[in-house]
This record gives sequence, structure tokens and C-alpha cells, in this order.
Amino acid sequence: MSKLLKVFLFASIIIAPFTASAVTVASWGGAYTESQQKAYADTYSDPGSIVFENYNGGLGEVRAQVESGSVTWDLVDVLPGDAITGCDEGLFEDISSEIASMGVPGPDGESIAEDMENNGLEYHSGWDCCVPQIFWTYVVFYDPDAFPGEKPDSMADFFDVEKFPGKRGIHTWATGIVEKAMVADGVDPQAVPTVLEKQTGALDRAFDKLDTIKDHVVFWSSGSKPLELVKSGEVVMAIAYNGRVGAANLAEGENFEYIWEGQVLDQEYLCLTAGAPNRDAALDFMMHASSPTSQALQAKYITYGPMRASGIPIIVEGEPWGPGGVDIMPHMPNTPERLKVSIVSDPQWWSDNGAEINERYAAWMGN
Amino acid sequence: MPIGDMLLRSVDDSQINTVFPNTFEEYKKWDKEKDKLPPEEVYKALFQELAYGDKIQVGRALTRMNYSKSGWKSLIKKTSREIKKVVKKEEFPDSYKEFLIETNEKWADPTYWYAMGQMLNNQTSIYYWNAIDRTFDQELNVVQQDEDRRVYVQTWLKTLKVSIYVTVFCLILGFPVAHLLANLPLRYSNLLMIFVLLPFWTSLLVRTTAWIVMLQQKGVINGVLVWLGILSDDGRIAMVYNETGTLIAMTQILLPFMILPLYSVMRVIPKSHMRAAQNLGAKPAMAFWRVYLPQTIPGMSAGGLLVFVLAIGYFITPELVGGKDGKLIGSWIAYHLKTTLNWGLTAALGAILLGFMLIFYWLYNKIVGIDNIKLG
Repeated sequence: MSKLLKVFLFASIIIAPFTASAVTVASWGGAYTESQQKAYADTYSDPGSIVFENYNGGLGEVRAQVESGSVTWDLVDVLPGDAITGCDEGLFEDISSEIASMGVPGPDGESIAEDMENNGLEYHSGWDCCVPQIFWTYVVFYDPDAFPGEKPDSMADFFDVEKFPGKRGIHTWATGIVEKAMVADGVDPQAVPTVLEKQTGALDRAFDKLDTIKDHVVFWSSGSKPLELVKSGEVVMAIAYNGRVGAANLAEGENFEYIWEGQVLDQEYLCLTAGAPNRDAALDFMMHASSPTSQALQAKYITYGPMRASGIPIIVEGEPWGPGGVDIMPHMPNTPERLKVSIVSDPQWWSDNGAEINERYAAWMGN
Repeated sequence: MPIGDMLLRSVDDSQINTVFPNTFEEYKKWDKEKDKLPPEEVYKALFQELAYGDKIQVGRALTRMNYSKSGWKSLIKKTSREIKKVVKKEEFPDSYKEFLIETNEKWADPTYWYAMGQMLNNQTSIYYWNAIDRTFDQELNVVQQDEDRRVYVQTWLKTLKVSIYVTVFCLILGFPVAHLLANLPLRYSNLLMIFVLLPFWTSLLVRTTAWIVMLQQKGVINGVLVWLGILSDDGRIAMVYNETGTLIAMTQILLPFMILPLYSVMRVIPKSHMRAAQNLGAKPAMAFWRVYLPQTIPGMSAGGLLVFVLAIGYFITPELVGGKDGKLIGSWIAYHLKTTLNWGLTAALGAILLGFMLIFYWLYNKIVGIDNIKLG
């Protein structure tokens, strides 16, 4: 009996550190989570205490976990719209004071929030519960071999099937496309969110523009697809996540060109689930993951840009920053000159209108 | 239990009623004929319930309000910030109505207030109406959704159409295979069975991707046809990223669910029956039609029901190979469950799907008889 007890005690001592303090992070999987593993977890003081789990986005599972009271995910990697809704609904814990006091400051002492504002972002309620990760973007790319003569270089070209014949690959939901259509219709990229929010009929304008390419479109619904579509020649240009294009260029020896004009930048956040089982450890990891150095380091492994402005100089000074001695800045979406021709997607507007616009977009696709 | 919970959620509207009880109480007194906007009391009640309400409960209510009209969420969030300032300074306005309209002109837009009328009761039927492209007007009469937002009816029809087609194709393709399997000597049929089961054990995504490689414009099939000179180079057929692709891929993936029950039923039909029928003067076709086929009905119905039930809820494969035609009702259920968090609409869509299934089950029971189903 006492021997058995000893074994139990011994076993629990061995096992306890692993079970009790492992911080579970739900993220998107694939190359993205791999880059998080390398940049955030492997450089953390206790790398073994961070466990990544894959999920497909959205707040469905988080809400189910919180409502049922059995939370297993400490941290969730989410889009800004979900950061806002999750924070408003109390699915994520309001840690604004912890972020202010514990967040790793930038080189000039700027707080996380100030650092993000320097990158052209505006406060939203997601900032109360979440720390910033990366900028990713919906960007148009093409294979230069498909255009022997003049090459497309603007959104107007993407929507001009007479000047540049051939099919276009676009995704099956509305985010990013609506904004691009506005740019093609002559709206200044930086003004697009305001025009969409304030001007009546702006959305009709976007859909009218979409009508012009409707018969020349192949729809995709998973991130690897646009690359295959362009490689196989099924389409001549496609919208894609820039990280996928970057990976194809850097790791697979492709030579794709980007059209940065009209790229739609979206944000990515790491949020603390309400009632997280390892709250304090998770909080500590969040601060590590959102430091300027961690954010810059992530760009080494995937071509997504740091959301903290102070991450950029670290990359610039560290060039060649990419794998195998390649410069990474040519693939970064948020350089100052590219930001001038970009749209920063407005998460508040999308979380207000997303359902309605996506229904309209689906109706447009189906008819 | 989960089904009961789903049905409850599809009509439940109680959460928001616990957040804005006074506002709703005052709202009910508003005479829409007489006054364009609600009276001062409504604005005052809303102001107070926003000022002193629990932040998280208000947040959840906002998600709900936004379903009835896009824009509610940010309107109230922006307003709340102004309200908090007022409360902090304790400089309360004389007219709450004027104050709110001053902070945001949308408070003078009656369409927001009309939309509030949908939420006054603890139960609602709005989600079911939304699920079939209907909504409420300001008098709470059921009207058609805006024309450019009508997606659900066409999706329902498409889902039914695809499911029925897939079931029929599976039957047509599965029947001869099952027959062959059941009648070959064991060592051949075992080998063939492995060919049926092998794809069944392969990952869904692998099979789906394989179909894309086969069917795309510069894919294997088009390539061979062009090489043989049957198609011209710019006459390549679009077989994927449309409905054809969905049907082909789904049929192949669901085929084993038809073959296996058919096979197990056919295996136990004695071969002597066909011989006896022919002995008694029936031509082979007649013997097949009158003697063999009726005995396979239990297998056909089991397979048919199985394939249909699986097909009607399918969404990953159609999304990958279906392009613009790939959004079946399952995609919308997943979308609202995960992205918009509109669980009321999710539950209503699910309940309608369940209803369809029950109708088919009932029809089946009427026509074939449920005791007749057999998996082996």
C-alpha cells in the first residue's frame, strides 16, 4: 500500500509540472503556427510550457468553452473582428491594465498601444483583451511569365479583363474584395474605409465593379488554392494571403510578382480566454510574444509584418533577415511606402456589417 | 438533450430582455402612427440601462441587436462612451432624446427603432424567417428580405438538388459494383472490396484534392482529351469549381456508403432464385426485374437514406471543389456558428435541416416501410 502511494506521489510530482502549467494556444496551424512556435515559444524562458493547438478561426468554440465553463484554451489567435466581439461579450478577459503595466515597451519607451498607433492603427475594444501579432494582407499576385508584354500593376488592371485577358482567382467571402473593388473604381486606398462607412451607395458601387469581372472569375476557399490556380495557369492573377506568396517565392523558388496597390491589411491578435486555466502563465507568455523583438523574429519564418511599428527597424537593420540570406523587406506588406497605397481593413465596420455583406456576396456569386 | 437545446436556442430571445427591460417596457407605449420617433422615456431608459448595465451582458445584447439591423453594435458602443463621460461628470442632460441625437444622428433614424420592435419578447420566430429569406417590417409583418440578400432559399434548393442527384448517381454506380462483389468468388471479391474501401480510408482532403488535379482546366482529363484531339486547346471543359465538380467529388466520396449495405443484402440473396425464375420461363431481364431487384430494396433504401443524410449536411468538399456553386446549407450553418456567432439563426437552419430529414424519413416509411431497412 505505502509502496503504491509512493509511486503515485512520485508520478504526480513528475507529471504535475507538465499538466498544470502547459499554456494551450489555439492558432491556425500550418506554416503560421510553425512561425509562432519558432519566434515566440522557442525563445520563451520555458519553451516546453507552450502547447499549440489548431483551430479554424471564429469564436464558436471559444464561446462554447466559456458558456459551458470548461475552458481548455488559455490563449486564442484571432482576427480583429473576433477580438472585438470576444472582448465585448466577455469571452476574453479585460486585461487592459496588465497590458499597460507588463507589456514590453518599444526602444523609445512607447507602450504597445502607442506602438500600434504609430503603425497607422486605431484603438478598438479588442485592444483591452488582446496583444498584437502580425499584419497579414489580401494581395494580388501573378506569374510574370503569363504577361510577356505589359504587366499589370494596379487594382484597375486586376479589374480590366480587356487590357489583361484571362481569369482571376478570388475568394468566396467578401472581406478584402469589397475594398479592392472600391480602389479599382477610383477611390483612394486610404479613403476606402471612410467611404464605405459614410457614403450611401458605396457598397452598390463595389458590387457594380465586381459585376464587370464576374464571368472571368474562379472562386477559391482555402489559402493554398490561389497558388495552385496561378501555377497551373487556371487563372492569370489571384488574390491570396501574402504569406503564402512569400513562402512560394522564398522557399519554392517561384518568381511571383505582387500588386501592392490596393492590398487589404488585416490584423491578428492573441487574446486571453476568460477563465483560462493557466491565466498567469498565459499572461506572461502574451507579453513575451508581443515584444518588438519577438514580432520582428516572426518575420524570419513567415512574410507577415509586425503590428508594432518598432518591430520594423529591427528587421531592416538585421537584413538579410530571411531564410538562406535573403532580404525579407521586399516581401513585407507594411513598409511605409506600401502603407500609402494600402487599405487597413476596418474591423469594427466589418463586425457591424459582415453578415449582411457576406450574404449579399453569396447571392452575387450564386446568380 | 443537444437537439432540445438547439430547438430552444432557435426561438430564444430572453438575454436581451434582461438587459433592456425598462427600455422595452417604455418602447411598447410608443405610438408609431403618431410620433416618428419614440418618446423621451424610451431614450431615458436606454441611457440609464447603458450607463449602469453590466458591461458583458450589454456586449452580448449588442451582438444580438446587430442581427436585427447592421450598425446597432457600433452605434451603441460609440454612444456608451459618451454616456460614461456624462455619468462620470454627473452632468445629466435635460432631454435624453436631444442628447443622444446630438452624440449620433442615427438616433434620429427610425429604422433602428423599428428593428428594436423585433426583440421585445422572450421568444421570437425571426430566426426561422431569416432562414428562408424573410424578415419583419416595422409593423412586425413578415416580408421578403432585401432582394440582394436573398441567399437561403436558393441554397436550400441547391442543397436538396445536389443531395438527390448524389444519391441517384451513387445508386446507379453502386448497384453494379455491389452486384459484382456479391457474385464473384471470394478471393476476387475480397480484392475488389479493398478497392472500394481503400479510398474510404483515405483522407477526405486528399481525395478532394485528387479530383481537382484530375478535373481542372489544365488537369489530367482535359489534357488527355486535348492530346487525343477530341477537344481543342481553348475548348477545355470546366469540370471543377462548379456544380459538376461538386457532384463528381461527392458521389465518389459517398459511394462506399451505398455499396456496402447493397453488398451485404445482395450477398444473402440465394443464386437459386434467379435460376428458378428463369426455369419457370422468365427472360433474364424479367427475372432480374421481378425477382432479384425487389429483394435488394432493403439495401437500396438503407444506402440511399445513408447517402442522402450525409450529403445534405456536407460542406467541406463542396466548398473546395464547388467554386461559386459550392456553398451548401452546411457552409452557412458553420459560418453563423463560428463567424457571426448568430446561434439563433444557426439553430433555426439546423432545425429546418432536421425537419427535412424527418419528412424524408416519413415519406420513406410511407413508401417502403421502415422495417424494410437493412444494413446486412
